[in-house]
Amino acid sequence: MRAFVFAARSLVRQPGRTALGIIGIAAVGALLFDMLLLSRGLVVSFRDLLDSVGFDVRVTATDSPLPAGVRMKDATLAAAAVAELPEVAQVIPMRTASGEIVLPGGRTVAAGFTGMDPSTRRPWTIVSGQDLSPLTTPPAIVINEPLSDAIGLPIGSELTLRAGCDPGRAVSTPRTFRLVGVAQFPFDDEAQNTAVVSRDALREACGDDRDEADMLMVASSGGSAAAVAAIKAKRPDLFPITNEQIVARMQTEGFTYFRQISAVLSTITLIFGFLLITVLLTVSVNQRLAEIAALRALGFSRMRAAADVFVQGALLVGIGGVLAVPLGMALSIWLDRILKAMPGIPAAMHFFVFEPRTLVTHAALLLATTLLASAYPMWLVARLPIASTLRNEVVG
Amino acid sequence: MVARRPVGVALLSATLAALSVVARSETAPPSGAGVLVSRQLMAAQQLRVGDLVSLSAEPDGSQPRSFRIVGEYEPTPDPMRLGAVRHEVRLHLPDLIDLRASGSNPLDTETVDAINVAVGSPSDAGAIARRLFTAIPGAVAQRAGNDERRAAPFVVLERFHLAIAIVTVLASSVFLLALMLMLVEERRSTVGVLRLIGFRRSRILQHVLAEGVVIALAGAAFGILLSVVMQGGINQFFQWRYDTALVFVRITPGVALRSIAVAVPLGVAAIFASSWSLLRGEVLALTRR
Repeated sequence: MRAFVFAARSLVRQPGRTALGIIGIAAVGALLFDMLLLSRGLVVSFRDLLDSVGFDVRVTATDSPLPAGVRMKDATLAAAAVAELPEVAQVIPMRTASGEIVLPGGRTVAAGFTGMDPSTRRPWTIVSGQDLSPLTTPPAIVINEPLSDAIGLPIGSELTLRAGCDPGRAVSTPRTFRLVGVAQFPFDDEAQNTAVVSRDALREACGDDRDEADMLMVASSGGSAAAVAAIKAKRPDLFPITNEQIVARMQTEGFTYFRQISAVLSTITLIFGFLLITVLLTVSVNQRLAEIAALRALGFSRMRAAADVFVQGALLVGIGGVLAVPLGMALSIWLDRILKAMPGIPAAMHFFVFEPRTLVTHAALLLATTLLASAYPMWLVARLPIASTLRNEVVG
Repeated sequence: MVARRPVGVALLSATLAALSVVARSETAPPSGAGVLVSRQLMAAQQLRVGDLVSLSAEPDGSQPRSFRIVGEYEPTPDPMRLGAVRHEVRLHLPDLIDLRASGSNPLDTETVDAINVAVGSPSDAGAIARRLFTAIPGAVAQRAGNDERRAAPFVVLERFHLAIAIVTVLASSVFLLALMLMLVEERRSTVGVLRLIGFRRSRILQHVLAEGVVIALAGAAFGILLSVVMQGGINQFFQWRYDTALVFVRITPGVALRSIAVAVPLGVAAIFASSWSLLRGEVLALTRR
């Protein structure tokens, strides 16, 4: 406690230097905090996004868990086979297509279309109007807000849709749909035009009779791992994958750039922080050599003098580290806004996501940096020759 | 000896499609159309030039066709596919169309994803693209290298890196100021003696600024030298990590000049700001008398 008070008084005696040291550590600490948020931000955010949809297993025709790859044939049969499993609560086939909405006057608006049958679970949230209904004539269509803004037509209007469902085929004849609602889709980016119709309606719009799906969305009843095992046993030709496995795959393949840049910048930040603290403490010790020698002559032990240096470093880093957290949070909002301008990033995803473990890691890294950075000035103080230092000071 | 391994690859030609295929390598009689296989796929499947492989457009590998590997190639580095395993095969366009054609749709043999056009004069490319756009309804014609959608992620990343650089420079400036305050404190008596022997404030200020410029230039030069030395190591690490030929760090003269333009004024300003209290102080106070 006495070492703490003594070190605090030493710092207060040099307010300008102390303030600059704390501000510098706060800035470095904020950057370190942000890099820790970035290191797992996308993964945590992507996992939350997948879980929010309400399906915990996806089944595809190949080992790619993303839609718009090789389509599954006889999807209705496959869905029925999977739905029979006791480990499965619900199965919904999903098909995607690209195309355009043809507006009066010939203007077209490009959009991505999803064909999904209405069910109790659906990966969208109705903002206005109604949800899809199989009984609507002409077939119902629900669109997202950017598409609604782009076409500028009210709910209840009829829309002409021209779908391109297969790159090997010509675009099909336009079909008419009734706009029944506007919804938010979790995987949309801020500028993406998206619409959803029933799978049968999309098949008609595509002008083919192929019972295909990009994937089966599966909600398990007794855990995703058990559902995956049961699906694999029943249909070895299909590729089921859990949300956790998708996240793990994205972590090793898709999000590596940001993990790498986070690791590089965290390392550089820590080195920078180490240099900052070492230089501050070392210069401070060098300027106080006479004072420290006098204290030693008065009876301060080596340990006590070294502890004083360490506590000074700990106080600087502690105050700077605490300030770094709100500063880092504010900075992360700015950086997140910059990165979210990247095309294809869902609006609901974030690059910087706070987790309690980030605080613990941040504190541990700063503590380790303080220990390392204090080592050299502590060593200088511990081996300080009392008599010759005092003599040099008097002569000087 | 025949090895059958199901492998997912991308088949590329003038037409580009992502397909699941069955690959088979064997030492067989010289038949089959030639294909090029990416270095990564050759290594992953232990293939050799001259091997026969079977490719199929079906997810279950049915209806395979035999091809002979005539060469290995390095895929064009693509930052958009960083981290993706480049298991790719290049086929002649007719071979790819044959492989994918279902037989039920005559348009299958007439369909490509894109047609690359080389124009006589690059300056006419924009006008030709516009003419094609109006002449062929439904087709999209655009200049190569002018794809804003592909460039957008890198514009965003550049902004992100700039933001990080600004924060780093701010933190460095505070660090520098704290350091200079300490160092100037050590010079208190020297400045006092110079003032006592007749040096004017402006003369001492010139010395301080000259010293600041030299230190800032030396620091900036050292920083650039360190970056140049490190860029090879950083590139090698990330090229190994992502198995790509992409260049991640490139210190250009423009980057070096920009660094100097930021570092030198900041360094001089820090020295000047920290020295200001000494220059304004009374001589006796400086000499502690």
